[in-house]
Amino acid sequence: MSERDEIIERMRESIKNADDDAAEAAATAALAAGIDPLFALEEGFAKPIRELGEAFDRMEIFLPELVLGARTLQAGLKILEPAILAGGSTAAHKGVVVIGTVEGDIHDIGKTIVVAMLRSSGYEVHDLGTDVPTPQILTVAEQVKADIIGLSALLSTTMLRQRDAIEYMRLKGVRDKYYVIVGGAPVTEAWAREIGADAFGRDATGAVKALEARRRLQPVLSTTEGAAHA
Amino acid sequence: MLSFLEVAKRAETGPMSTADDFSMQRVAMNASALEKKYGLKYDPKVRVSCDDDLADRAWQAGRELILQCGLYSINSRRLILFDEQEVDETLAAATAEFTAGEGLDAAHVYRRNVEDPRPPVIFGGPFNADVHENMFVKLNEAFAGEPLIDLLLLPGYLKNLDGVDIRPNSGLSTRAAMLYGRWAREAISRAGRPGLPIVGHAVMSLNEIACTSEEWGLRRCDPRAFAIISELEVDDVTLTRLAYYHAIGCPIYISSTPLIGGYGGGPGGTAIVGVAAHIASVMLGSHVMHLGPQHIKYKQQTNAMSLWMGSVVKQAVARNSKMINTTSVTTSGRPGSMQYIYEFSALALSVVTSGSNLTGPRPAEPLGWNNVSPLMCRLFAEVGHAAAKVSRQDANRIADALWEKYKDKIELKDAPVGLPFEQMYDVKTLRPNAEHWALYEQGRKELKELGVPL
Repeated sequence: MSERDEIIERMRESIKNADDDAAEAAATAALAAGIDPLFALEEGFAKPIRELGEAFDRMEIFLPELVLGARTLQAGLKILEPAILAGGSTAAHKGVVVIGTVEGDIHDIGKTIVVAMLRSSGYEVHDLGTDVPTPQILTVAEQVKADIIGLSALLSTTMLRQRDAIEYMRLKGVRDKYYVIVGGAPVTEAWAREIGADAFGRDATGAVKALEARRRLQPVLSTTEGAAHA
Repeated sequence: MLSFLEVAKRAETGPMSTADDFSMQRVAMNASALEKKYGLKYDPKVRVSCDDDLADRAWQAGRELILQCGLYSINSRRLILFDEQEVDETLAAATAEFTAGEGLDAAHVYRRNVEDPRPPVIFGGPFNADVHENMFVKLNEAFAGEPLIDLLLLPGYLKNLDGVDIRPNSGLSTRAAMLYGRWAREAISRAGRPGLPIVGHAVMSLNEIACTSEEWGLRRCDPRAFAIISELEVDDVTLTRLAYYHAIGCPIYISSTPLIGGYGGGPGGTAIVGVAAHIASVMLGSHVMHLGPQHIKYKQQTNAMSLWMGSVVKQAVARNSKMINTTSVTTSGRPGSMQYIYEFSALALSVVTSGSNLTGPRPAEPLGWNNVSPLMCRLFAEVGHAAAKVSRQDANRIADALWEKYKDKIELKDAPVGLPFEQMYDVKTLRPNAEHWALYEQGRKELKELGVPL
């Protein structure tokens, strides 16, 4: 096994073992060995993290493993990111997401899964937690130069706040600045369309798919999927 | 025995923690370790566990977990911790039976044993589906008219009034809470059961308590519903409502929905979290402990893992404590479909033979307006009563046969969409229409053929 292959293998193992220290060490070794940081990111971290996401989708692993894997990715990415940017790439991420559960709603788990899956898929995610007022979401989105805003709601009563958040964005003249994705147990595609969101995720995998479609410039509210139970 | 006042104090004085540390370091790590320590292994071939030792190990593990974790107070970011003596004393003092409602319509609410021949207490009603204001009284009157329903369950969220959507904590939501109480009382009165107890949770905010009035709203004899947030978390709204309803003397009904695939891990670890949540509910002063065996992927409660987990948690609790417990049933298939019947019957058989009472049924989110059926609740109750006559082994066989009928349509996107109340009933007479009645008859026939002693 070449030195490059050995380092990439160490990176992959660090994700599988959720070992942040090992991820940092392997990423540092990759840079020291002159491995292209984008190649290292894709082969060493992105592939095993995608496998982790797929295993979660099949329920072969559970939320704790997914969260830990996503954290390890972040630890390793911190080492690689400066080199990726120095190499001329505009960003080490596919997009910058600010996400929170809407004001009045304190449910966290669904959003936590989305956050882990988005991070695993290469997005920079700023998780503002639960019961988040819309002005706070916009303030952070401005600070971190986000291009995507995610609004989660678990209850049929609090999903109305997703509509209010989008209306407030319009009022502040920033609606078109962000790609807005909504999700949560009672949320349907019909609701997303009604309130003027750009996309909806039935679940975490759906959220990732929607954002991937966005990257390919595909409209994501064009199908009828999800409207069946509206 | 720990008082609620002491619990409330600990929410302000307990050790501080981040939510993330609580979920990952306390809940996930300890549940995983306890799952291994007690060998709580899920068997995908079993719908209803018949293993008493497994149930007892689940109890021990859940008891250890609540001692390790306590509860997390989301708003104060503090741990509400309990010691062994407090837990054991409080469990020993748990309520084993009580009366809810009043007069001739009062309900005797009691704990059940595994394979208890006594019928389960039926908590049936709209289960807080979204209900249109113009259908609220009619729908609840139809539910209250079902004689097998012992307590009218959660009369429905008024999400919109006078054409305006209701924002939690707003003035309109206070009005919604008051109308919830007023209209629920009107519905039981119109149904001829004015003393029927109503399990209430009017709106999802603190002004919920505005539903209370001995004269026109929910009474002291009506249980109030609360939820422990997954996993093992409480918020200020819950603690404040508890303080109020404890003070005025309402029976307390606390639900928990441990998520299979979430911080508890698989079905074994999540069963431990489920037992811990039951004990935590007792520590909060609850009289009825409700389990919603939820699955993180399927987002409902009749998948194979939930059937197994429901049976294990209920047996653990029934065999090792005197707490009154019940289990909710949320399904992929909707009212107006045979799949709905298959699903709620499978879980009812699983948990009733395991020592549980019954709550529900209701389709899982996202569901449409008025998407519940009193007639289906009647069949659900009939299946529950019949289940009290069968063994766990027989329940396992029948539940497995039912599972085979719906397993390929367990994903919400594949399940039957179903119908709202007004398309299954004549809303003037409040009688099921011919098509809905035929579905009920067909369901009964198929269930009998499978061996359910209806």
